[in-house]
Amino acid sequence: MTTMDDNSEIWSVSQVNRAVKKLIETGIDNLWVLGEIASWTRASSGHCYFTLKDENSQIRCVMFKSDVLKLPVDADVGMVVRIFGSLSLYEPRGEYQVVVRSLVDEGGEGLWRIAAEKIRKKLEGEGLLDKDRKRSLPDSIQTVGVVTSLRGAALYDILKVIERRSPWTEVVVRDTRVQGETAAQEISEAVRVLSESGMVDVVILARGGGSMEDLWAFNEEPVARSIAISPVPVISAIGHEVDTTLADLVADFRAPTPSAGAEIAVKDRESMKEMLGVRTDSMLLALKGMTSSNRKELTHQMTELMGFEHKLVMPYRDFLARIGDELETGIRAVISGAKKSLDDTEAIMDILSPLATLSRGYALPTDSQGRILRKTGDLPSGKKFSLKVSDGTVFCGSLGKDI
Amino acid sequence: MADDEIQNNVTLEERLARLNEIVRNLEEDTIDLEVALELFEEGIQHVRGAQSILNNAELRVKELVGSNEDLEVQQLKDDS
Repeated sequence: MTTMDDNSEIWSVSQVNRAVKKLIETGIDNLWVLGEIASWTRASSGHCYFTLKDENSQIRCVMFKSDVLKLPVDADVGMVVRIFGSLSLYEPRGEYQVVVRSLVDEGGEGLWRIAAEKIRKKLEGEGLLDKDRKRSLPDSIQTVGVVTSLRGAALYDILKVIERRSPWTEVVVRDTRVQGETAAQEISEAVRVLSESGMVDVVILARGGGSMEDLWAFNEEPVARSIAISPVPVISAIGHEVDTTLADLVADFRAPTPSAGAEIAVKDRESMKEMLGVRTDSMLLALKGMTSSNRKELTHQMTELMGFEHKLVMPYRDFLARIGDELETGIRAVISGAKKSLDDTEAIMDILSPLATLSRGYALPTDSQGRILRKTGDLPSGKKFSLKVSDGTVFCGSLGKDI
Repeated sequence: MADDEIQNNVTLEERLARLNEIVRNLEEDTIDLEVALELFEEGIQHVRGAQSILNNAELRVKELVGSNEDLEVQQLKDDS
């Protein structure tokens, strides 16, 4: 062992550093360290130099550019983090440091969330998140556009819903990566191309669940901007209900799952059929109303004629009865012609009945949406409804069921 | 109006739009009874056509491929 009096072996500074470096690097394995960020510098090279501390001491750290790229944003001073790396000595300066390969935020705020917050504030400042910007869906949707990965489950879920609810709606899909470094660019391009193609009435942007890191592309600016300038409404269906990405905030509609997104986009068969039924009834009632007013016109003319030539005219009541019958016969002839084109005989009975029954004093109650109310259950006490009688409509309120 | 009219390529959207128009026209007081009956018959044809579409439609899915200058639409390849 060398003592102070023995100077046979004199080391150079570099030799010392080299020896210590070897000692440090071989003596302690790769490790995880928990600490608080005391300082943080990002050099122009892209490498980050920072200090990690606890209550009693601190240590220098370096994270090289290739590893820094994995971070969405620089860590803030004061943040508690967990780092994974190896110990080393930087020989030129004799400084001991940790070479950090991975950095994870231990605190309540994730680094991801902080980065997302920064972009969100920027876009919010531009008004892109405003509620007034959000468009409603057009009444008629002939084609639905879907931007998603062809390899993902999201597309399958969406197609399943559309097939069940409204298979007459056409679908055009645009494939895109939904995570990874180039995803944001690809997604925004896909949204732009599909929404501007003129082929679709709405775009569903969909992706299955994942961690915030997996969904990160949907927090990036390009995606949000392409949604904002889309000429057609955009429904975002990204991740699970608990995940909110920037895309969700900028979109016109936000769905908790891809399936829910499809449900927002398309009407269903039952409501379409009901609508057809209401249209049919409207046509019949209009026709019925018409023949009543024609009858009134004839009545009026008859009354005038009676003043001059009553001997030549048939008894008033009989004449009216005859005209009325002819009109009804005419309508029935049209209906039986139309009968050949309606397979469903039940539908025929439904169609015939309003004509026959309204003139006999039956009336047709409908609610504020035009839906026909058929049962006592549809008319609870207090319910307001419209009542169509033979010559017009009155507003009514139900006094409740007659026991 | 012939029955084969129902078979042609009129879309559901077009039928509904025409149906709505017919209802609007019929509800106007000024229309002739003869014209009304014609409209009514046309309307029933559209209801029939729409019902057929609602009952028989099969989902068609296409894919938009290519970029900028050469976009085209093709059948979706089913990988599943």
